Order: sequence, then C-alpha cells, then structure tokens
Amino acid sequence: MGFLAPWFLAGLLAVGLPVYVHLLRKQTTVPRPVSSLMFFEQGTQSSVRHRRLRYLLLFALRAALVLLLALGFARPFFRHKSVLASDKLLLVAVDDSFSMNAPAGASGTKLDEAKRGALSLLTAKSPGQKAQVIGLAGQMRLLTQPTEDMSQLRAAVQGIGPGDGHDNFGELGRGMRAMAETVHTPMELDLFSDMQESNMPGNFADMVMPGNVTLVLHRVGPPAATPNWTVESVQAPGQLVDTKKARVLAVIAGHETPAATRTASLVVNGSAIATKKVDVPANGRATVTFEGLDVPYGESRCAVRIDAADGFPNDDSSSFAVKRGDPERVLFVHQASDARSPFYFGAALAAAAQASFVLQPITPEQASDIDPSKYAFVVLSDVPSVPSILENTLIRNVQDGGSVLVATGMADSHREHIPVYGGNVADGHFYARGSAEDAGFATVGAADAAHPSMRDANGWQGTKFFYAAAVDPGNARVVARLGDGTPLLIDKQMGEGHVLLFASGFDNFTNDLPVNPAFVAFVDQTAKYLSGEERMNGSRVVDSFIQLRNPVNAESGAQRKATVDIVGPDGKRPLTLKEAAAAESFQLARAGFYQIRFANGRDALIAVNPDPRESDLATIPDDVLKLWSGSTGTGSAEAATESAAPSENNVSSLWWWVMLLLLGVALAESGLASSYLGTQREEL
Amino acid sequence: MLQRFLDPAVLHGISSLDLVAKTVVDGFVAGLHRSPDFGFSLEFAEYRAYAPGDDLRHVDWNLFARTERCYLKRYRGETNTQLTLLLDASNSMKFTSHAVTKMDYARYMAASLCYLALHNQHDPAGLIVFDDEVRNYIRPSTRQGQLYRLLAGLEQAEPAARTDFGKPMRHFQQFLNRRGIVIVISDFYEQPETIVKAIEPLRFHGSEVVLFHVLDPKEIYPEMKGPAILVDLETDRRLEVIPDYVKTEYRAKMDHHLEQMRDRTQAAGMGYHLLTTDKPLDRALTEYLTLRRSGHTSGLGGA
Repeated sequence: MGFLAPWFLAGLLAVGLPVYVHLLRKQTTVPRPVSSLMFFEQGTQSSVRHRRLRYLLLFALRAALVLLLALGFARPFFRHKSVLASDKLLLVAVDDSFSMNAPAGASGTKLDEAKRGALSLLTAKSPGQKAQVIGLAGQMRLLTQPTEDMSQLRAAVQGIGPGDGHDNFGELGRGMRAMAETVHTPMELDLFSDMQESNMPGNFADMVMPGNVTLVLHRVGPPAATPNWTVESVQAPGQLVDTKKARVLAVIAGHETPAATRTASLVVNGSAIATKKVDVPANGRATVTFEGLDVPYGESRCAVRIDAADGFPNDDSSSFAVKRGDPERVLFVHQASDARSPFYFGAALAAAAQASFVLQPITPEQASDIDPSKYAFVVLSDVPSVPSILENTLIRNVQDGGSVLVATGMADSHREHIPVYGGNVADGHFYARGSAEDAGFATVGAADAAHPSMRDANGWQGTKFFYAAAVDPGNARVVARLGDGTPLLIDKQMGEGHVLLFASGFDNFTNDLPVNPAFVAFVDQTAKYLSGEERMNGSRVVDSFIQLRNPVNAESGAQRKATVDIVGPDGKRPLTLKEAAAAESFQLARAGFYQIRFANGRDALIAVNPDPRESDLATIPDDVLKLWSGSTGTGSAEAATESAAPSENNVSSLWWWVMLLLLGVALAESGLASSYLGTQREEL
Repeated sequence: MLQRFLDPAVLHGISSLDLVAKTVVDGFVAGLHRSPDFGFSLEFAEYRAYAPGDDLRHVDWNLFARTERCYLKRYRGETNTQLTLLLDASNSMKFTSHAVTKMDYARYMAASLCYLALHNQHDPAGLIVFDDEVRNYIRPSTRQGQLYRLLAGLEQAEPAARTDFGKPMRHFQQFLNRRGIVIVISDFYEQPETIVKAIEPLRFHGSEVVLFHVLDPKEIYPEMKGPAILVDLETDRRLEVIPDYVKTEYRAKMDHHLEQMRDRTQAAGMGYHLLTTDKPLDRALTEYLTLRRSGHTSGLGGA
C-alpha cells in the first residue's frame, strides 16, 4: 500500500471541519424545568439534534467524506506480486555473432543449439503471452514485434543465420534500457549465447538490465574455453606497384592453446603462393612475414591461412585486397624559379615505402591544358597565380572528388586570393625576424593526430618554421597549428574532394620541414589521403562503416549526382537505387570481399574480416553471469532493491475504489442530512 | 394602603407565614369596609322553635317570658363553616418564572384563608397536604393554637413526589364527617375528568368544593426563544421542544385544558378559580367569604 501523491494527505486536516461543526460548535443548552410535560410534544430541529447521539452518524459520514476525498487525491495504490504470465513480455535474444559459428558437438554449431533452445522456450510459453525475437550480432536487432503469433516467432528464430559480427552485451543492456522507457510491463529476457568474455563491455554497468526486465541466461556450447588458433591481423599494401618490394605481415594468435607450430599460407586469388612454418607460443602470438606479393595487375583477393585444426575453423584465414597497377602521377605546379620544392617533395614521395606515386613537376604556364583527373592529386607549391582555366578545372575536379595540396609560400599575391582554396592570406608571420624572446622561429603547437596526414606527427615537434601565412580557416578543419595559434595545415572539404592548405612552403626557406624525417611520413600519408588510397585499404572489420561520399557541403551546395555501387560478398547489391544515390556511408556487415564504386568514380575492393575478438572463445565466469542475471535494476544493492520491486510487484491503483466509496458516502450523507432537514420543515 | 400587601411579590419578602396571613387578611378586611356588599358582624337572623335536643343556652328566655314558648335565637355569626384546605405539595408546585413559586403562592393563600377562618370567622379550619399520598393532616378545629398548627403544617409542606388525586381524595373522605367548605389548591396537571372524578365525591357529604387552580403566568403563556430541553419536575423526564410548538400547539392545549377544567368542575357543582401567581390574593379570600355567605344562607335551615 502506498500513495502516488502523499502530499495530498495533508487534506486529512480538513476532518477538523466536521469535528468543529458537530462536536465543538454544539450548543450547550441548560435543560429548563417545567411543571409537567403534559402539554408538550417532541420537537425536532437540527440545532437540537446535533447534540444527539444519532447525529454522530452524520458526523461520521461527513468525516469519512473528507477522509476519502483526501485519500482519493493522494492516489493510493496496492502492490501485489501475482503477475499473470500473459502480462510479462517474453524477449528471446539469440546471439548470432561470429563465434556462434563454432561447432557445439555433433548436433551442429552453437547457433543451431541456441535456436533450438529459443524454439523450445517459445513452444513452452503460455498461449496468450506475447514474445519478441531479438538478434544480437553487431547491434541489437528486433526481428519481430511483440506478438502472440507462434508461427511468426518461430520463423524469426529459424531465419537467424550465421553472422560475422561482434556481439556486445553492453549494447544489449543499452537497448533494453531504451526499450524499458516505452514498455512498462514486466519483461523476461532469455539470452541464448556462448557468453564470450570478449563480449563484455569495459564497464559492467553498461550490461545492467532495467528494473522491469528479468534476465535469464542460457549458455550454449561447452562451458570451458575451446583452444583456437586464428590469423589475428594481416598488414599488406592496398596498392602495389613493385611486387618484389611488397611485404605481407600476418599475426597468428592462439587462444587457450598450447605451444605449437602452425603452417601459414599466403593465398592470392585462391592459390597459395607461399607457405611458412610459424611457432606459436602457448596462448600467445607469433608473426609471419611473406616477402614479395606476386599478384597480377588489377585487384586481387588475397588471404593468409593457417592449418589450425582446432574447434573453430572459420577464423583460420584473414582476407585482404591488393590492387596492382602503374605508379600514379602527382602534378606538382611550382614557379620556374623554385627548384627546391619539387626536389624535396619528389624525394620524399619516392622515399616512402611501397610508394606508388610519381611526381610530375610543372610550371603554371605549362599547366593550362592539364586534365587534373588523370593525376592522383595536384600540388600547388608557392604559386602566386595559376591560369584561370587551370583553377576552374581544379575546382571542378575537387568538387567531383579530386584533391589539391596548396602550399602558400611567401607569395604576396596570396594576400588577395589563394588559388582553388578560395580564401586569402590575412597576414604573414616572419618568425625569423621576431624578437629575441620569440627565439627566432616557431614550432608546431597542436596537431590533430586523427587526421590521416598527421598520423605520425611526433617528428613535427622539432620542426622550425620561419614564416607562416595567416589564413582564416573558416569552417575548414585545422589539422595543425603553430605555437602562436596560427593555422599551419587546414583541410577544407569542397564537394566530394579536399583542399589541403599548408600555410608555409616546401622550399626549405620558410621552414626546415623538407629536411626533417617527418616530411617523408607526412608526404606519404598525405599522398595516400589525397589520392583516396587510404580509404581503399585492403581490409576492414565486420560492422565497420565505410564512407561512400562526403556529406553535402552547404558552402558549395553541390548536389550529389553520382550513385555508388556496392557488390557484397554474396554477389548481391545490398543497397537499393535510392540508397545508392543518397547513402553517405555503408556498414560492412558480412565477412568477405566488397566491390565498391565510390561517388567520385573510384573503384575499390575491400576485404572484410570478422572481429578478431570473436576468436577468443573464453567464456564469462559463472559468478559474473550470476551477478549479471541477478543485477536487474541497478548496480547498487540499494537501488536494486528499489527497482527490482516493480519487476515482481504489480501495482494496482485504488483510486477508483476510493472514488466509488466516496460517492456512496456522499449519497448517504446527503440522504441523511436531507431527512433531518425534511423533518424540521414538516414541524415548522 | 394595606392592600398592597396582597401582592404576592410583596408577601414574598415576609418570612413569617403568620405575619403574611395577618397582613393579607387585615388588608383584605380593611378593603371590605368600603364595600357595601359585604358585612359579617353577629347580627340576628331568625327565631326557630325549640326542638328537643337543642342547646338550652340558645333559648331566648325573654321571648319565653312573654310568650311562654321556647324559641331559639339564631345569629348569622353563629353559623360555623368548617374549612378544609387540600394543598397539593407535589414537585410541580416548585415551578416559578419569578420570585414566588406556585407553592409559595399556595401557602400564602392557605395561610390567609386559615387566618380569616379562625381569627375572623371563628370557623374550624383544617389542612391536608398531599401529593401522591396524604402527607399531613390537621383536623379542623377552633381550639386555641389551631392557627399555629396550621401555619406550621404549611411551613413543613415542601414539594416532593408527584401528584395523584385519587388516593389522597379517597383517604380524605375518611376524615370528612361534617359539611363545610373544601378548598383544593393545586396546579391540576391531570386530565380534567380524572380530577373531577377524584374530587367529586367530596360533595356527597354536602360540602362546598372549590378548586383554586394555581398556575404560573409563564405556564399559560410560555416564552421560548430557541429549541430547548424541558425537564418534568415530577417525573424528571426530558423532552426536546421547539419554540414554534410552544407558540401554537402548547397554548391551544393549555387553553383547552383550562376550559375543560372550568366546564367540568362547574358541571359537577364545584367552584373553580384560576389564579396566577402574579395576581393578588384577595380573590381567593373573596371567594371564600362568598362561599361562606352562601353556605350560611343555605345552612340556615340546619345546624
């Protein structure tokens, strides 16, 4: 018994009103003696009757009226534990992550066992009880609506196929908490899973179920961890020019395994071209390197396989895609007087490992009729002005997905207009002429390591900058700043392409970056980024997203015209025409090779591998599972007690009953009071 | 001047009942002298032939000497009338709305009648105090000290119990062996036919019966501003009464009761007088003398 609005109980003080009227305000009449009552008769008048015992009935009714009114507003409710089975929503969650493909004995895989358990549970449920089927791979998926239709539920369970995603119980907890905000009836969540330890989130609180959810865990597969070897990762170039210089690096990992020697094979387009023995320590990792990757021109589907002979053969290979072709050209536009910039930039581009770019220096005058789409990207190095036809061509190329790297240098003409970039130089900072306190030069103060060009930004710390143009970045992304806050590297998105602005020069006059080792890494990363090779890297993880086109650039207002084309591992196109015309990203849900044509016209072959965490078949300890299944509510014991109550108790409001009683008492009070008044009128 | 002492409110200030009676009667008698209608000196009335057994002391020997016949000389004053007072001393007589209760008023009246009868008329006077029983009985007599016995009896008559006319009246008939005047003083809270039925036998001995109905003025015209609980002084019963009832129903019933009392008593040959406690006592004395006079006239043939 409780009250939803206990403050209204203060209205009970109003009982004092009938008490005052009936008891305190009664008239104290002194009986008058008379000689005889022979000629008198009983007279009835309310003021006299108030003193009579029968008036206590009226008083009691009026007091009850006030009490019930106050109780009604206080919204009393009653908790009872008898929850009907049909009132509880049955949620059947089947773990269809990659690890569920592991054999669970002679009866099939773990997923088969989980589906059998889910079907038997649905069969055993009461006919009127609603149920819902949930899939867990990748993210929580509601496969059905809450329904009593057994055929629909059974079909949903049977339709669950082997997945390649990674399961996360934290995602399950968040999903259930979101569901509990809209579904207030008690729910029973029956989870059929192999209870992988890697499925646990970093914070146990993320797994906790809301108060009205009862978690029932059904472990499938062997309780102990199964020894499993796997190809955990493969490092290989995405684009290849020289097959002999290429190198494939694979990590072989063993989970709960003894020390053993495994055979690793490099497979190209289904044919093993190299095999190596690798000694994998007990429950450890070993690296195997394949020198040279002899693949034909074009895109090749490659993989590294091991002869694991363990209980989970699905993870014994790791795929990657390699594209072999001629080196791509990079157009380097520079002033005729500037011979240092192409020298340094070209040397750095050639020094990058597995570089597949060739620099083509050219002066602005020679570049008038150049088609920039034939180049991986274009560099404008300290060019005070470019022919307008070239600039327009470059801008159009960038809008369509091309890229331009602009180095401002010290040209004064940039104060009016920076080619392609669109902005202008507000000021020029000559740090070499600064005061003694300024130490004569500037260094990089902040760098955005998340940007592809700055992944190896540690070497930039010692770089000296003597000049930097002050450019207003606007809405562009500032990748690096100097110590005084001057933007040094700005990434501006225009349409489908990017313009990367370097607010200094590549000539070793304005800074010493060209002679710094970090310059090679910077050029290598920037070249891969601007050419698009970076996002067409050979391998991804299941459930990761790939960007198909840049978001709508409000500044340019460009309309996306080109559609993307995706062919999945099963040879089907997962996107509809409408999605292909508008989708900005795509989730790689299955393992295998995806053939993708991006919005800028570039093609890519992307290999998708299951999350390596799925290969660790170690299960969650039983005590942790008990804690989880018993922790519905909140993490703390106090809150668990408070919130677990609704899951077991059914709350019934007594408001209507109180109001009905109030109506009855009001009618009785009215009848009784009017009967007294009626008698009085009769006597008068 | 002395008549102002007939006012009960004035008499209430006199503690001695003897003095009250004396004051009332003296004032009353003094007032009578101015009236030509009343006179009661020992005057000659008639001669009656001697009959054997008559008291020889009453023979007019002068007439016998002249006529040699025996005649008895009779005077008006010699016609003694036994006065018997029946005083209701029930609890209802305690009621009052001012200084004088009905019991006090009845005492004053009884004392005055006794004084008048014994002191002025030389009539034997007796007293019976009753409620539902005969509580005190003082035999009518003219002996010396009779007045004080009567007054002491009146003094001791305190209201108690309730009224029941039947039993005391039957008892009283045992004491009544001589004609006279019987005065019943009460508030007569009983049904008129019951009262008449109980008192009527007193007339069978030839006595004149007079009922003095003593009521408080507020009993006839009660005032009530709001609902009240009334307590019966005799039965202690309580009753809720509202003003509207008192103004209408009660007065009608009371008027009917008084009318019935008057009609039925007169029909039974009894005298009836309604006296309210705010009125002077002379009316009672006048009634007594009137009765005595009529009784004297009617009694000429006897005694």
